[in-house]
Amino acid sequence: MQADSKRNELRQRIKDALAGREARAAVEFARNLLAISTKASDVLFCATCFAGGAETLVPQMGLKRLRTYLVRSVTLEPMLPYLSTEAVLSGFFLDLRIGGYGSYVSELLQPESELARFQPELVVIALDMEEIAGRLPALCADGLGAGVEGEIEEAAARLGQLLRSFRSGSSARVLLHGLVIPEVTSAGEVGDANLPYSLMNAVLRLNQRLAEVCRATPDCVFFDVDRLAARHGRARWRDQRMFLASRLPLSAEFFSAYARGLVRSFATLFRAPRKVLCTDLDNTLWGGILGEDGADGIATGSAFPGNCYLEYQRYLKQLSQRGVLLAVVSKNNQADVEEAFQTRAADLALSLDDFVARKIGWGEKADALRELAQDLSLGLDSFVFVDDNPAECAAMRSQLPEVAVVEAPADEPWKLVDLVAEQPYFDAILVTDDDVHRLQEYKAQTQREELARSAGSREEFLASMEMVCTFQSALQAPLARAVQLLAKTNQFNLTTRRRSAAEVEQFSAAPGGQAVVVRVRDRFGDAGVVGLALASNRGDSCSIDSLLLSCRVIGRGVETALLAYVAEQAVRTGARRLVGEFVATKKNAPCSTFYPDHGFVRCAAPEGAATDAMFYEFDLTAATLSSPEWITLEGNEQHELSASTAFTA
Amino acid sequence: MSSPQVPPSLRELLSDVFEISPEEVIPELSSTTLENWDSFRHLQAVLALEGEYGVQFDPQRVPELTTVALLQAELEKKGVRL
Repeated sequence: MQADSKRNELRQRIKDALAGREARAAVEFARNLLAISTKASDVLFCATCFAGGAETLVPQMGLKRLRTYLVRSVTLEPMLPYLSTEAVLSGFFLDLRIGGYGSYVSELLQPESELARFQPELVVIALDMEEIAGRLPALCADGLGAGVEGEIEEAAARLGQLLRSFRSGSSARVLLHGLVIPEVTSAGEVGDANLPYSLMNAVLRLNQRLAEVCRATPDCVFFDVDRLAARHGRARWRDQRMFLASRLPLSAEFFSAYARGLVRSFATLFRAPRKVLCTDLDNTLWGGILGEDGADGIATGSAFPGNCYLEYQRYLKQLSQRGVLLAVVSKNNQADVEEAFQTRAADLALSLDDFVARKIGWGEKADALRELAQDLSLGLDSFVFVDDNPAECAAMRSQLPEVAVVEAPADEPWKLVDLVAEQPYFDAILVTDDDVHRLQEYKAQTQREELARSAGSREEFLASMEMVCTFQSALQAPLARAVQLLAKTNQFNLTTRRRSAAEVEQFSAAPGGQAVVVRVRDRFGDAGVVGLALASNRGDSCSIDSLLLSCRVIGRGVETALLAYVAEQAVRTGARRLVGEFVATKKNAPCSTFYPDHGFVRCAAPEGAATDAMFYEFDLTAATLSSPEWITLEGNEQHELSASTAFTA
Repeated sequence: MSSPQVPPSLRELLSDVFEISPEEVIPELSSTTLENWDSFRHLQAVLALEGEYGVQFDPQRVPELTTVALLQAELEKKGVRL
């Protein structure tokens, strides 16, 4: 009864908040409601409220609106309110449309299909085994497995072909459902485990192949439904009664978990992962209070409870291996911390060198994070803060709401790894070389800053860096990295258009088109691919659609070198005029005068251009744009060849 | 006025499913009179009722439960105390 009155109170508050146009409060109340209630009616209630409050929610919460089309061979309608609710809680607003049963091929491929006319930004594909590999159960039944491999390969090839054909006509992001391993088979559980061609093993293999197909398709993510089913219990995942009667692929009990998993999977296609994990030390990275217990007294190492902390340290170490930066933010004495890391090195999985920065002192932690964001040239929305002190967590939430906060359970340290792992903050569907080398790169950044302080003039400093810029086609450099840059660069980004891999390919393929990336290295290290430009020719003018640079290298002349390169290529392809565009956002003020600074003059917007864009032009026949002399340039012959081919064509 | 015959918990649940006010949930309300009550909302209602009251409907009976009164009667037949 008490729970019901709490529910009703929260429901009323959600309504009131939306009526009062307070989106943040409404979403927070909804989050609270769904945390205490698993009732279908409460989810439906939230979905209805959110749908009605779109005009308030989308702008105030900065929700990303996504036209989403579901292609399916199973019943998904009852899950739609769950999906739209979970999406809002994760920062998306879905405009959902659902296709007919079994018409997925024509929907995906026909240019006039309902899907094509809907112009989705996201396509969700949910097919069951009957559609993907219908003969598999029969082929597996005899246990000998003749034809099983063939059926799997055929299924993967067919889906791969389908996705490639779809991709050639649409740049919508795609989420493909994997299959759930059947819980009941004629081989039985012992046979499933031991027979090489049991249906269980065949579906496992098929899922792996489908994931490979997704990897090979730009902007496509594999949604591992089986993993979700396994977590919640495969035996209960599907309600056979409802599947056979209504083709409902999962039991209503798991609609929320399913929706959450689906949103978490596609979110990686639209949002870059966070980059920095800031951890507290006392009762978080190790047990006990260093200042009171001393270096010998803190709990860490192979014995319980020290091993709980060791597990957390190992987890952090593994995160750092794929590019997540670690930082210490702790109220302690610097010398004590250094001593602890030295004398307890054998009991710790991390050394001080594993951290990109250490903010140890007695000041406010929010200030420490602000400084850190500045030092690393990263936005606060790239940070995750882990601390056991509820007061510190609350202070961080209220002072820096962009920072994600994980409250470490001081009394149950064995839960900390799970708590961090269940958050989507570091979800990534690909890891590039640049990610892996990020720690060295950011450390080099600190060294550069030291050099900058000791050098005389700016030119002298930049010359001493011995910078080399290498230009490559975005298709030859890892295309994934180019798309990653497009997705996450905010500060030095002239138009902030989040182009997809398919769109980058279009720029590259167009006659006179350019999709060029720049790699930068200097005496301190290789920063990798840090900049990108997309341009295309119309008549005798070359328009720069996108030009962006990672904030790590801003102000060193790389932006000028990139622009000069684009200009040079434009001239080679016959352009007489270079047109640049600037679209102001909340974050890209650092590049607002980029074009005027390089001798461009304001010009009229071409017809059909977005009204928020400012256009600039540069007469390529009257002047040349040149690269700064302190930068050594390295071209890429193949790319130059393709540019000149375009010219002659 | 609200209809006293439909128990409050059922009334509220169906009002969430069909996106109507609780007052509109009367015993006579049916899939033929309410536009929102299509086959998918019907399935949604059945799933929500099963979850709420911990019962399972017989799929063969489900298509016949086309009014609030019929849904209520079916729940009571399954021993649900509304």
